[in-house]
Amino acid sequence: MRICALVLAVLLGLPWQAFAAVGCDLNDPDRDVARLFPGSTGFKTSYVSIKDKGADALLSRVEARLGDTFKGLYETIDVPYTIYEVLKGKEAVGHIHGVNQKGVYGGIQVFLALDLQGTIKALYFQKLTSRYAKALRDPKFGKQFEGLSLKDFQGYDVASGKAVDSRVASIKNPAPGAEKDFRSALRGVKKNLILMDEFVFAGERPKAPPAEKAK
Amino acid sequence: MVRSCSRYSRILWLLAAAALAPQARAADRLLYLEAQALGGYSSDRDKAVFYSNDRQEVMQKPSVGFDAVQKFSGDRGDFGSLAVQGRLALNVDGPGTAEPQLYNAYFKLKTRPADLWLGHNRPALGLSAALDSHGLLLPPLPMDGFGFDRDWGLGADRDCSWGDVKGSLTSGSGMSLHFNGNWLAAGRASRGVLSQDNYSAGLSVAHGKTLDAMGYHLMRDEPMSFTMGGADITGLWNNWEGRFEVLGGQRLGEPAYALLWRAGLNLGDEGRLKLEAQPVLLRTGSDTHHKLAGAVSYLVTSDLTCRGMYQYDRATDDHRVLAQMYYYLKL
Repeated sequence: MRICALVLAVLLGLPWQAFAAVGCDLNDPDRDVARLFPGSTGFKTSYVSIKDKGADALLSRVEARLGDTFKGLYETIDVPYTIYEVLKGKEAVGHIHGVNQKGVYGGIQVFLALDLQGTIKALYFQKLTSRYAKALRDPKFGKQFEGLSLKDFQGYDVASGKAVDSRVASIKNPAPGAEKDFRSALRGVKKNLILMDEFVFAGERPKAPPAEKAK
Repeated sequence: MVRSCSRYSRILWLLAAAALAPQARAADRLLYLEAQALGGYSSDRDKAVFYSNDRQEVMQKPSVGFDAVQKFSGDRGDFGSLAVQGRLALNVDGPGTAEPQLYNAYFKLKTRPADLWLGHNRPALGLSAALDSHGLLLPPLPMDGFGFDRDWGLGADRDCSWGDVKGSLTSGSGMSLHFNGNWLAAGRASRGVLSQDNYSAGLSVAHGKTLDAMGYHLMRDEPMSFTMGGADITGLWNNWEGRFEVLGGQRLGEPAYALLWRAGLNLGDEGRLKLEAQPVLLRTGSDTHHKLAGAVSYLVTSDLTCRGMYQYDRATDDHRVLAQMYYYLKL
């Protein structure tokens, strides 16, 4: 019984409010990287969290840029985000990064394949169990995101679903019943782009842009 | 057994030290603390129990452990990874002892045709080759002797556009490594990528001479013929999950069959609440029995899960109720 009490004491003594979470990995990175970046020869995996990269100050900045607060199981400060730097030989040719986003039926995993300037080459839903998964995974839906970047999503309001940029505003929900998952997907894309900007691209620019708020 | 535990204790502490060592490149590594408290009541034993299956089995018991993954990369990208996952479990019943347990302990090398692994990993047989049951209360078929959750050896995995193919050649001894002429060759091919297609269906075969092991305890020293074939299917639909597995062949020198069905329903905000039911039918030789289980789990936070399970085991006429607090914290 003393051993049992010891285990309970250890558990009760742990920092219960220190939220941690499992990140968003590609299930089969070899297959997915080759598919999303034809001609690539390899990739480097790295893990980064808001907590490690800038803690509360970074979290506040990301939330301000998103126009919404981080909440729930998928948006804790120490979620380890997995970033795949895609290589051709020894040269980087792009990145792949995924985020967990709350959907109608649990989490949706929204992956973006980005070129070195942060422009979307492909949108890829990994986990998506909704009955509308087929429509959201249709290449025609994903095609609407190609060529867009964070600049285009800056004016997208995740709360109202309204967009300033005409190309973002013209992205069509593929099925009337999928509205909630469609809006979740767009929020996931914007969150993904902001995190990549903070984690990867901000370090490659001479000066980070000022925080922007959704209109 | 004392000698065996001592050996695994040394391995576990060495690997734990390596996993917890200061990180030269923090971004290459993930490290989690795992802790669980578990207790319940067994009508067969008519007393409180502090294990989910059997005192000699490894899962689940009150324990503290870690889970680490280290990536290795060069100029041309990742070339390998090391996975180490260990626990110090407490045997509360009887004389209280601490049992070091090593689950993942393998190095995976990426090569063009396939990923190759060496160490302690999942053999390529059945649903448990693809389903991680590490923290769960509902028992997979290896807990009833139909294969091994982990085994020592080597293997190869290849992901294809239509699914994946795995093969393994392992010791056929499970948690501990023994050389008594025991071995197990297994292969599994699956169609459908669960995370992309919302279904995966697999076919498995295995053959060898395996030891009858329960956790780190050998029931017999002599290896016995083991031949098994089977099929499994997993499907996801909205907030429903379904898993079905059938295995049949020979184990312990006798004909053996197993059927498992696991149905799950995710409810609540972010799917925090999960309800599951699992009937299992088992037959070895002329002995047929079934187990019926129901489980509930709730994600209190992203790192704390509370689980409960009721299970009826026809073989022992045992009604068992269990509660578990499972903590998984990123360090």
